[in-house]
Amino acid sequence: MNTSVTQGLAERWAGEVRAVDFPLAPEWLQQLRGQATGRFAADGLPHRKVEAWKYTPLKRLEALAPGLPAGNEPAGAAAVQAPLLENNVFTVDIVDGRVRKLPGDTPAGLTVLKFEDALKLYENRIRGLAEQVELSGPGHAFAALNTAYLHRSLVVHVEKNTDGGSLLVRWSAGSGEEKRFESFRLFVLLDDGARLELVEQHLGGGPAGALNMMVQSQLGENSRLDHVRVQTESEDTVLLTSTSVEQAAGSHYGYAGFDLGGGLVRHELYTKLGGNGATTDLSGACVLDGSRHGDTHISVDHAAPDCRSEQFFRGVLGGSSRGVFNGRALIRKGADGSSVQQSNANLLLSPLAEIDTKPELEIYADEVEASHGATVGQLDETAVFYLRSRGLSDAEARHMLTAAFCHAVSSRLKNRELAEKVGRLVDAAMPGRPGSG
Amino acid sequence: MLEINNLHATVAGKPILKGLDLKVGAGEVHAIMGPNGAGKSTLGNVIAGREGYAVTSGEVIFKGRNILELEPEERACEGVFLAFQYPVEIPGVNNTYFLRAALNAQRKYRGEPELDSMQFLKLVREKLKILHISDDLMHRAVNEGFSGGEKKRNEIFQMAVLEPALAILDETDSGLDIDALRLVAEGVNRQRSKDRAMIVVTHYQRLLDHIVPDFVHVIADGRIVASGGADLALKLEEQGYAWLEQGGIQSLDVEIRG
Repeated sequence: MNTSVTQGLAERWAGEVRAVDFPLAPEWLQQLRGQATGRFAADGLPHRKVEAWKYTPLKRLEALAPGLPAGNEPAGAAAVQAPLLENNVFTVDIVDGRVRKLPGDTPAGLTVLKFEDALKLYENRIRGLAEQVELSGPGHAFAALNTAYLHRSLVVHVEKNTDGGSLLVRWSAGSGEEKRFESFRLFVLLDDGARLELVEQHLGGGPAGALNMMVQSQLGENSRLDHVRVQTESEDTVLLTSTSVEQAAGSHYGYAGFDLGGGLVRHELYTKLGGNGATTDLSGACVLDGSRHGDTHISVDHAAPDCRSEQFFRGVLGGSSRGVFNGRALIRKGADGSSVQQSNANLLLSPLAEIDTKPELEIYADEVEASHGATVGQLDETAVFYLRSRGLSDAEARHMLTAAFCHAVSSRLKNRELAEKVGRLVDAAMPGRPGSG
Repeated sequence: MLEINNLHATVAGKPILKGLDLKVGAGEVHAIMGPNGAGKSTLGNVIAGREGYAVTSGEVIFKGRNILELEPEERACEGVFLAFQYPVEIPGVNNTYFLRAALNAQRKYRGEPELDSMQFLKLVREKLKILHISDDLMHRAVNEGFSGGEKKRNEIFQMAVLEPALAILDETDSGLDIDALRLVAEGVNRQRSKDRAMIVVTHYQRLLDHIVPDFVHVIADGRIVASGGADLALKLEEQGYAWLEQGGIQSLDVEIRG
């Protein structure tokens, strides 16, 4: 129904993206970029008839009507919020989609580079990842746009059998007046036996804008990536993220996401368990209030035997907010001995809030252990009374119980400093918390 | 301290309390006994202010004030404490965090300074020691995964920290084996004081072997039908509650009210 309006924005962007003064790049990238801009111009933006976008209209993006970056703007001012990690961590600041600061003193084995420098070292790996991104169809419009701006990337690499420690990547909007739709990509390359803790912090703070973010990770055999993503964006921000992970045998990917802000937020999370015995633990909490919209689309692909995956997601919805959760697990033929667990539990705090939750299990293998559950409920009034009978006000009791519902996710973080700070952000994000009005 | 006059209450539209009168003075321990469905638990829940328990007439005067018009948390801050028959499990809320928030809410209400975490920890350690409770309890989520005995001891521990003027123990003996029962009863007895009144609601006499009451009341069909001393409980134990249904209250050698 809004196809025509979205089409207007898509057409404007198609014109803008063609006019961008892109930096020189290798032949394959020039071609890929041309292909991506062509696909975007031809296919336009996702609309309601695209199944994966059925419940997530892009009206806010249209209303925001941001322009595309021209390609050579300077980076804005520094980040405004306290870092999530301060001890033993290397921090990269990205402002307005431009890398602002790179750590010069990373531990041996950890390399963090801007795209143009990384190409000299990892061209084939980057090319391989970039070229496998699906670009056609309106459902992949943002991947196509992101590909056009591929030079705005950060590449992280951890050498074989090395612990890369903790890396904090902070995203923030600059102080510019103009609303822009920024694209950025993060490549994470872990060699066999490598380890890394990657923390993404989305700060917001600047004027309203939109970010089209992609993270592509490649995990070598027996490597381990612990990925934490926390966003406390302002209510008028649009944040579209796609995270994809390729896992070799024996590798482990842990993801914990905290969507605590933003006006329109969508996260597509895709992991491919491509080698025997790989494991993936995906968890997240999404807190929505007012008229905000949060969408989590997960797809776990069991393509090898004896892999294990878990999806553990919680949603809290107040006001007239709208949530979408789609958790898919595909067990391919031959992926015998797979184990899949899925759970999505939601608390609706208001009669106007709404959640669409859908677990999808597709099993084509033998000896598979699978469980899934989705719940939508309200606060337990007996528990509310229990807390009130000890002296807490109705609002305090409800806040405590709602936050506890999300702490089930933050308490899984093994890094204590992180767990504590994220726990506090979760508390502060609760709808209708005492004193918030 | 507490005076209940002609209390009528309904649950889901059904009359449960039908003109209950009770007076409890400071320092006294009153046992409320009676068959299932007589209104024992309803009484505790009405005093504590639980939703769904509608008072249709009567009054509950606590420290000179009709508390029926107060919110549950205001009653708690005034000094009313209900030890639940089924303490609620609250995953994700740490026991220490919860109890400190509750105590500070009460202190704030009374115009007292709030306790910081060090001061609170000191208080908790003292109380744990008095009650012989391991501090392992404090690191866990409220009642989550607690055994029946641990849950009831946690209630008594909360009471020790919150120091209410009136404690209502709702079927505190239910689900406990004899050792757990003795531990819980010891905890309660240590908190008997001249300033504190207690109402012990129980179906069975065995709890009263350990918490010896000053007064025993029998509740039937929403009213107190008999009152006496601790020996009344023993008579009930011998004769059961069948005499109530047979209308044979006269057969009991007790003071009869109503």
